[in-house]
Amino acid sequence: MGVLFSELRERLLRAGVAPRHVRRYLCELADHLADVAAEEERAGRGRAEAESAALLRLGAMDDLAKAMIEQRQFQSWTARAPWAAFGLAPLFFLATAWLAAFFILWSGWRIFLPGADTPFGGPNYGFANLYFQVGRAFYFGAPILIGWGIGVLAARQRRQPGWPILGAIPIALLAVTAQVRTSRTAVPGGLLGHVNLRFAFGSSAQPLSVGLYHTLLVFLLMVVIMLQPYFIWGSRRKFFAKLTLLGLFTGAAFRARPGS
Amino acid sequence: MAPRATNPNFMNGVPELLVLRLLGQEEMYGYELVQAIHSRSGAVIAIGEGVVYPVLHALEREGALKSRRKTVQGRSRIYYSLTSQGSRRLADLSGAWMNLTAAIQTVLRGGQNGSAIL
Repeated sequence: MGVLFSELRERLLRAGVAPRHVRRYLCELADHLADVAAEEERAGRGRAEAESAALLRLGAMDDLAKAMIEQRQFQSWTARAPWAAFGLAPLFFLATAWLAAFFILWSGWRIFLPGADTPFGGPNYGFANLYFQVGRAFYFGAPILIGWGIGVLAARQRRQPGWPILGAIPIALLAVTAQVRTSRTAVPGGLLGHVNLRFAFGSSAQPLSVGLYHTLLVFLLMVVIMLQPYFIWGSRRKFFAKLTLLGLFTGAAFRARPGS
Repeated sequence: MAPRATNPNFMNGVPELLVLRLLGQEEMYGYELVQAIHSRSGAVIAIGEGVVYPVLHALEREGALKSRRKTVQGRSRIYYSLTSQGSRRLADLSGAWMNLTAAIQTVLRGGQNGSAIL
């Protein structure tokens, strides 16, 4: 039974059915199976025979999978529009997080350091410090968290590694080339302060080749870190699938609700 | 043990029609619904029992059904019932089905439209 549900879950997820629909389908199938088995037992069959009869009545694996896969409205966004789910959405989230970070930096500068030429190297104590650290966390944490999000999404929905890698690359590239500058004089009326974001390979103080080399190294490291959840999740799933095949989880579907 | 025979041919749209009709009479959960289809059709209509759930989920998503979780005898079940949109859909589908079956019967009996269609 555990093998049946495990296999069905994998087939549905690989076909692009959204995990929440898969979970609900499997839960209802498990309940149905229990009801049919109980009915068969009441009819005088032994437990094992009743369970076999219940499985036959439930339907063939192909039919159960096909019935759900044919309902296109249950497809996840990663299956319907992977370019949007792995390409555009992460960029949007990164832009939003960085916008929030820049607002915190700019507003903190205005509130806590009204006379300073730059908010960098500002107060390292009290609430002001905490305020700036929140902005810093947004700025540095967003690419990693978004990368992990891409990995978890892809692993959960059984996407091939191509899409999460393609999704992680622009985020990592933006993260390693982004440079934040602040100035009070760069724009007219600069008394308000000006936060500027630009993208470059390394700093102007080092040769381009060194900058490129450093950027490439950090970029590769970043991509590897971002994709950790994808590969860890995948290995974990394969491990549990093997245990299920070995029969260690047989019968679990009757006792526990199948998860995803 | 032989599986219960199903009849997939001519079944396009039939599960949907039956589900709407039966849930229009009373709310049911999946197992009850399958039993009702089996018994009220005199066991003529037999579908793989599990495949009723995608139909239910799709109808719910389209607004024809609504569901609620209810605990009965210590077991949590999802009960489905018809919405007003589902009632309209049932009326449309029933009308279309009646027309279709009437037309098919006319053809099978060799009625006035039979030669024209064949």
